[in-house]
Formats: sequence, structure tokens, C-alpha cells
Amino acid sequence: MGNKDKVTGEGLRKSVIDSIKAIDKGPKVLKLYMDMCARCGTCAEVCPVYYGEPTELRNPVVRSDLIRSVFKKHSTISGKILGALAGAKDFDGDLQKFVDAFYECTGCRRCATFCPFGIDNSVITRKGRAIADSLGYTPETMKNVVKTSLETCNTDGASPEAFKAAIDFLEEEMKDEHGIDIKIPVDVVGTDYFYVPPSGDVLVNPEATTGIAKVFYVLGMQDKWTMSSKCFDGANYGLFTGNDADMKADNKPYVDEAKRLGVKYMFMGECGHAYRIMKMMMEKGKWWGELPFKVINCMEWTADRIKEGKLQFDKSKNPMPVTYHDPCNFGRSCGIVEAPRIILKASCQDFREMYPNRGENWCCGGGGGLSAMDDIREFRMKVSSVKKMEQISDTGAEYLATACSNCKRQFMQLIETHNAAFAIGGVHDMLSRAILINGKAAERVDWEAGG
Amino acid sequence: MDVFVFKIVPFFTILIFILGISYRFYTWKKTPQPGAMTLFPVPHESTSLSIIKEVVFFPSLFRSDKTLWGFSWIFHAALALIFIGHVRVFTDFPALWKALSIDADVMSAVSGGIVGIIIMIAAILLLFRRFGSKRVREISGFPDYFALLLILAIVVTGNLMRFGEHFDLQITREYFSQLFTLSFAGMEIPQNPTFRLHFLLAQLLIIYIPFSKMLHFGGIFFTQTLIKRT
Ligand code: SF4
Ligand code: SF4
Repeated sequence: MGNKDKVTGEGLRKSVIDSIKAIDKGPKVLKLYMDMCARCGTCAEVCPVYYGEPTELRNPVVRSDLIRSVFKKHSTISGKILGALAGAKDFDGDLQKFVDAFYECTGCRRCATFCPFGIDNSVITRKGRAIADSLGYTPETMKNVVKTSLETCNTDGASPEAFKAAIDFLEEEMKDEHGIDIKIPVDVVGTDYFYVPPSGDVLVNPEATTGIAKVFYVLGMQDKWTMSSKCFDGANYGLFTGNDADMKADNKPYVDEAKRLGVKYMFMGECGHAYRIMKMMMEKGKWWGELPFKVINCMEWTADRIKEGKLQFDKSKNPMPVTYHDPCNFGRSCGIVEAPRIILKASCQDFREMYPNRGENWCCGGGGGLSAMDDIREFRMKVSSVKKMEQISDTGAEYLATACSNCKRQFMQLIETHNAAFAIGGVHDMLSRAILINGKAAERVDWEAGG
Repeated sequence: MDVFVFKIVPFFTILIFILGISYRFYTWKKTPQPGAMTLFPVPHESTSLSIIKEVVFFPSLFRSDKTLWGFSWIFHAALALIFIGHVRVFTDFPALWKALSIDADVMSAVSGGIVGIIIMIAAILLLFRRFGSKRVREISGFPDYFALLLILAIVVTGNLMRFGEHFDLQITREYFSQLFTLSFAGMEIPQNPTFRLHFLLAQLLIIYIPFSKMLHFGGIFFTQTLIKRT
């Protein structure tokens, strides 16, 4: 974790400037973003935060300029010679301003989708947060999540016993629903699939996990998968505080556990950023060298089984209009957009799209870890989510499915704040309610709205 | 003074431009990039084809802001045409025109004239947009206005030569051909004040490019590669 105590004074100024100067050495993406921006204003047009309330500091370019102008001042010829005339400005010593601004960007990457140059302001945001973290300025709420996760391997600080109790409860639920024993194997060595959900899908909205268990059951693969009582939360807030060392430290136990369990697949659950880190960063970037397993995603896997005709559903169990919110990390950052739709269309009677969707979808307003910060709840409820709520209400959906615990938390609070008339849940949740086991779907009437 | 400005400075201009651009491209190229930045959906066609499309048609911008897309696409397309048109000031291809049976002077007068007016209008619209729209005003600083005004000034002086009092292109052509062949002896420096201003401003622009945001014409290949590559 970053510094425990806040650095101040001249030491702070020097550290900030040095970190910004270091951009000159890379990564390439940041260096390019320092030099390249035509200042056309397109990013502000498509940014959920600026849409919600267009104050100057919420303009993506103004925010990114907090770093860019200091870089110009210290690391470019034009900035050194021409100063302000070249858009250069020295760091004024106010790091709190950085923190406030960079924790108002949801890191959704929507700006990059529409910027003519593909400039991804979330990269600059992450750099800004990293600088703040190294000097002890990460907001307490975020610091605590990282700390808990590094200590307990899950962001809720739940013990293995609590986890096992929750799993027992889920097994009982499934027994009630189907009258048979559907297992959720825990700590079994030598299976094929190691299921890594976000902890929320066990402790808060557990239907996604029962959905997965039912799929394995129907396929006759009950003994082919396992969970871990130590590693049951793919969430990794090192991504959000900008601290690479924390992100890797949080990731390592999961890779070690997969090796210990001897699985062929790390089977990621419905959590966008967890999958992005495992697949796009850890596996692709070879953080821990060659791996004896492959990282795959539960939604793609289930969608493939549906396409093979191996799963049957009673859609009448889900008669209400259902829509899907593409979590930014699944959609824009991992390209998983069709699989959830295949699952939802197979298990729901009335699936509706919101517009725009897939790679162009609007962020829920809680991305970039903001959803966990109750200190900025007002901002998340009234600013960053305005467009999202409009989008959802346009669909007339009564159930909003999404594949991300952070999005779900954001939506639960939005529903509460705005008295919204829709329920929130996961993708496998819908599957869990409609999937046929021995020709019968779950017998239940008391679905909790939103868990 | 004239000798220095019109015989020596142009070479410095070109030198600074080439060195500046190469240096920038070189630093971008050599800066390491650990990790992929892929942004989905990734294009169906090859990465390079999709980047070329992005450079030629601005599809990302088209999807988000059609008005700006209109202004800026016309602006950039006109810039490209003007760039091509100016090649004829430095060197001509009579054989080509003959083969295509085109009267090059008439064609360039008409098309050059039209394009000159179009880009002037586009630049003025972009300028208005800079202070007319809140979100663009917030991010517009001196470099942004300067770049537009400089281009506008070059366009206006260029148009004056075409539409104003008679301008003898032949003298200018000879000047450039002598300049490029380094035949300084007997070189006649054009005296037309509009041309002199146009030429100096254009050089200022050329020198300024490697150190300004106008570098985006090259940088786009780098930034788009980052997000389109899987
Ligand atoms: S859309 Fe891209 S080029 Fe335009 S202002 Fe935003 S970051 Fe700069
Ligand atoms: S990443 Fe999202 S929230 Fe941040 S500036 Fe870009 S569009 Fe706005």
C-alpha cells in the first residue's frame, strides 16, 4: 500500500513533479497522451460525469491537464521556453485537488471510444491516483478496501468459515428450489474449473453462484469444479488506487491457489474488473510467467453450452422486461458483450436492449472503484449516473441484469435513492430461475428484488 | 535582410521541421509499453486498415459529434488538397496534364479557389466553436487559438493572392526552383508583399508543428495502434 501518512510541503511538491516527469520514460500510452490532444471537446460530450453536471473540473481534458500541464512545464521544449503560452503550468502544491478530481472519473474509457485519437483519459486518471497513493492521499474508504483485501484475500474481510456458511446456505436454497442436492464444491484439489466470483456473488447477490452450480449440475460436471474458501473474491482494488504493487500482491494468492488446486481453468465469475486484471493484464502480461491453467469467463462458457443446446429453460419464470447493462470492464475492456445476451435471451421472455450498448454503453457512474466509496455517494447518485438512469428508464425494464458487483452496488443505491422501479441482479441469476433440471425449473415465488 | 530571410531561413524551417518531427516520432517509438491497452470492439479488418480509415474518415468522431465531424473533416480534407495543390508551385508536371488533357492552370484556379474559400469558412466555424461551446471553451488556451488563427492568416493571404490583384505565379515558381537547386546567383526574390507574408507565416506554421498539438497528424497512428491492437 502507498504511504500511511500524508506527505506535505516541499517533499510533496518534489515527489509529484518527479512522478510526472517520469512519464517521459513511459509507459508509451501515457507519454503519447501528454503530447497528443487536439482539444476538440469530444470526450466531454461522451463522458458520463460531465453529462451529469458539467463543471469545469469534470471536463476530462481539464482533469487530465492537472498532470499534462505539469508535464509540459518540466518535460517539453515548448513548455520550458513558452510556459503558459504552450499550456504549461507548474504544480501548485495542492494534491488534494488531484485526489478530488481523479476520484471523480469512473475510468469507464468511454472517452477513448469516441476520441478521434483514441485518447483514454482513464489512463491519466489512474496515474493521478497512483501519485496520490504514493504520497498517502488515497481516500480512506479506498485504502481500507485494499487493506482488507490484502489481509483476507477478499474485499469484505469475510473468513473462510463465513464463506462456508454462505455456501451451505446456498446449497440449502437449491435443495428447496429443486428438491435435489446440487453441490458447490469447496477446496477440492484436482478438478478442472476454479470458480472465482466477486465475493458479492456469494455474500450479497448469491443467485449468480447458484446459477453456475446448476449449470455444472445439468452438464453432469458436479465434480469438475471447485471454489476456494481462501480465494473467493476476484475484486482487486489495486487497479483503482493506481498501485501496481498492490494489484499484483492482491492477485498472486489467486494464481497460487489455482496452481495448488491443480485446475485447468481459472473460471472467472461475473466481475468485470477482476476478469480484466486476470485475463488482459495478468495472463497477457505474464506477471507470473507461464501458467498451468487458462483464464476463462463464466458467461462465455455458459453461452457456449447454450449454443450447443445443452441447457434448457422455462422462460415463463422470467416474464418481466429485462435489460442488460454492459459493465465497462467487460464491454470496452474485455469485449465480452454477446455472451450475457445469449444467456439472458435464453432465460427471459422479454429481453430489451438499452441504447447505446456494448462498447458504447454509458457507465453506471460507479466505475473505477467509486461504487465502494460512500463518502461520494451524493456525486454517484446525482452526477455520474444521470445518463445511465435515463437509459434504463427508456427501456421500461423491470429487471436490470449486469455482470459486476460494483455496478450492482451502485444500482442498489440508485434504486433506493431515486425509488426506481426496477430490480437489479446478475446474468446467471436469471438463468438460475429458469434453467430446467430434470425437466423442471426452480419452484420459488419469493424472489428478492435486488437481493 | 532579404537575403537572410528568403535564402537561408527556408532551409532552417525545413531542417527544424524534419528534425523536430523525427525526434518526436523517435521518442514515441522507443518509449516502452508494458501491457495491452485494447479497447473493444476491436475492428474486424486488420489494425492498419482500421487506423487508415480512422485517419481518412474520422469514424469515431462521426459517431459522437456529427457537427464537429463535418467542420473538421472538411477542414482537414481541404488542408490535404491544399498541400497537394502547392506541389505545383514548386514543380509542375506538364506531361501529366497533357496525358489527362487537363488545362492545369484553369483547373487549379477553379479548384484551388474553391478549396481556399471552403477552408477559410471551416476555420472560422472551428474558431467560433472554440469560444461558443462551453465544453470546448473550457479546454481552449492560447495554443489552440494561435494554431487556428495562424492557419486562418495563411489561408487569407493565400486567397488574396488568388482573388486579389494580379499575382504572377511564374516569378514565385522560379524562385522556388532556384531555391531548391541552390542556384543563389541570379535568384530573384519575389517582392509581392502578400506572398512574402504568406510564405513567412507558412514557415512559422511548419516550424511550430513539431512542438505543438498539430503533431496529432502523426501521433494518431501511435495512439490508435495502442487501442486497436489486441
Ligand atoms: S476527444 Fe481526445 S483529442 Fe478531443 S479533447 Fe478529448 S482527449 Fe483531446
Ligand atoms: S474514463 Fe469515463 S469518466 Fe473518465 S473521463 Fe473518460 S468518459 Fe469520463
